[in-house]
Amino acid sequence: MTIRVKGASIPGALRLMGLAGASSLALVMASDASLAAPKLTLTYMASQEWVKDAEQDLAKKFEEKTGIAIDFQILPSDQYFNVLQTKLNSGEGPDLFGGQSGVTDLKLQYNVEKNAVDLSKEPWASKEDPLVAAQSTVNGKLYGMTYWDIVGNTWVVSYNKKLFAQYGLSVPTTYAEFKADCQKLKDAGVQPLFEPVAPGWHHVLWFLELGPRYEELTPGLADSLNANTATFAGNAAMTSAVTQLKEVFDNGYMGQNALADVYTDASKAMASGKVGMVLANTGFASLVEHDYPDMKASDIGVFLMPLADNQRVNINPAGPTHFIYSGSPNIDAAKQYLDFLAQPENMDYFIDHTPTAMTLPFEGTKTKFSADAQAMFDTHKDARGTVYQTAVTYVNPQWMDIGADLTAMFTGALTPEKVLSNIDKRRADLAKAAKDPAWKK
Amino acid sequence: MKPMKPYPFYFVIAALALYVTFFIIPSLAGIAYSFTDWSSYSEEVSFVGLDNFRTILSPDESYLSFIGNTLVFTFWTIILKTAFGLGLALLLNRGVRSFVNGYRVLIYLPAILPTLVVALIFRSILNPATGLLNSLLRSVGLDGLALSWLTDPAIALYAVIGVDSWKGIGYIMVILLAGLQTIPRDYYEAAEIDGAGAWAKFRYITLPMLAPALMIVTVLNVLYGLRIFDIVYALTNGGPGYATEVLSTEIFKAFSKGQFGLGTAISSILFLILVVTGYLVIRVMERQPDRQ
Repeated sequence: MTIRVKGASIPGALRLMGLAGASSLALVMASDASLAAPKLTLTYMASQEWVKDAEQDLAKKFEEKTGIAIDFQILPSDQYFNVLQTKLNSGEGPDLFGGQSGVTDLKLQYNVEKNAVDLSKEPWASKEDPLVAAQSTVNGKLYGMTYWDIVGNTWVVSYNKKLFAQYGLSVPTTYAEFKADCQKLKDAGVQPLFEPVAPGWHHVLWFLELGPRYEELTPGLADSLNANTATFAGNAAMTSAVTQLKEVFDNGYMGQNALADVYTDASKAMASGKVGMVLANTGFASLVEHDYPDMKASDIGVFLMPLADNQRVNINPAGPTHFIYSGSPNIDAAKQYLDFLAQPENMDYFIDHTPTAMTLPFEGTKTKFSADAQAMFDTHKDARGTVYQTAVTYVNPQWMDIGADLTAMFTGALTPEKVLSNIDKRRADLAKAAKDPAWKK
Repeated sequence: MKPMKPYPFYFVIAALALYVTFFIIPSLAGIAYSFTDWSSYSEEVSFVGLDNFRTILSPDESYLSFIGNTLVFTFWTIILKTAFGLGLALLLNRGVRSFVNGYRVLIYLPAILPTLVVALIFRSILNPATGLLNSLLRSVGLDGLALSWLTDPAIALYAVIGVDSWKGIGYIMVILLAGLQTIPRDYYEAAEIDGAGAWAKFRYITLPMLAPALMIVTVLNVLYGLRIFDIVYALTNGGPGYATEVLSTEIFKAFSKGQFGLGTAISSILFLILVVTGYLVIRVMERQPDRQ
């Protein structure tokens, strides 16, 4: 099923009226050059949630300015890759398509060297955060524009400051401190942590987002994993993180309903004042205030995920990215659209009108982080690293499998060691399928 | 009298061509692909022999438990749907005298509801914290029975079985009711004259005469149960962990992950199980009348 989102622009309305036979009215209105039908329509296919309302607004402005309309084709996320791959493989790709950046995915899922246009020489390319641009680059060529709040989407533990003050808790910097805080909240009858396990993806963040910590303890680990000279199983820090996550569940810190909870209830849970902490991205506080004005964003603080005593900021430089299809007959117009999005005033508009976006990964872009989040980033500005779903190959495609394994671990069906060895096994299977030379040794 | 001329063979050619093109060839291609490493990760497709099947049947993997879950689901849904369907059919055939059509509609109603709707309703009803069922149980002091229906791996599969049975009983009841209504009343009257009680009439008249309908519902239930996908996907998506994972949901996941070779191998195994089980059920049930 394709959901076409079309702005209610006058040219769009004219097209509709033309279809309905209202040609006389259309002729009268078309005398105004600014209201003329678009000279060109670009199709942009993307997965659900990747196209924010603010981008659709910008697309309308782009149409008003250039006469080039953007036809957004938004698909449910579980069908997106299959539909996109079918279109790309059959040579019928849209003019622009969305994709998740990340060097592994670029090659395996999108084959960008064949299907996407080299954007290295575009005016905005040199302004994109190098850490982010690297995730859209293959063999030195930049293939995508990541128009997504990368830094703001960092997953951190958001906590209710009033509850922490009421029960005399301090912000934890180690697992032991975190556990002690959880226990105090539990003893006081407050659910320490809202952890939505049911959707199967959220609780995986606790493990894979700690890549910078694993890297800190074992420098070069990601490279070794990618070269197939190291494994997840047997790694002390990883074993420790997974075991601690199980302990958090077993001790009831996630509440009695964690296996049935869903992430869409996270802001409601936090606003209820009955939950101490939620693992969310840095824009969460603004979102809670937006949805529940009684709870102010300033009442929500943030701290780094403390499993394995982590004190490093987990950045995922990969995110939803715009690509131009190499087979498009409208490559220049598509480049024009990306350039329009990258204009400073348009990026400001996007940030201002997207509650969850704190910034964009381009030089000189404004930020709207909360004071707490900004302080956290400032304090740890030299302690950043890349999360493992991006840094390590064949991990992101098995995200939901890891989620199912962790849930099975919570219920006692799997051990932490088995969870890790399963990751190695699936990596080997995927590498074999991809005919990765590192697994042929 | 001039003998009736059979239709010429070429009348079936068009239908046969469609059947071969859209069923036989894809099915054979699917079986052939199950011996390859076809995936979205490589443009090359190589023959890997029985590797995919070894993976599926390896005790180190979870696939055997998915086969087990599928069989458990099939077994219990057959028992529950047939037992309750037969009970309700008997009740509506003779036991209930008024508002019979109304009862039939009410009991059949869940069968026509979309599975997704049923699943969403029951996900809400069975929510351990806020669900209607546990709230009711707690309100009458039965806190001990307020369980984590869909999130406790020990009972989640049985909760799914229960929901699916609730949805399917009406359908089975209608088939059995139709079967019951074909049994002549004379048989029962003759048995009553001979002094037969209710159990004897059921055992020696109803059950044998209903055997064809029972065979139909059993075969339908077997084929339905072994291929079950929608209710599991919508209720638990195979979770918690892998507690309710069945073959069809795993096939869907394998294809979603681009593991086409593995997915077709699981499909081939499911196909084999369907053929063997279906054949065995029909053979066993065909023998039943001979024993009477």
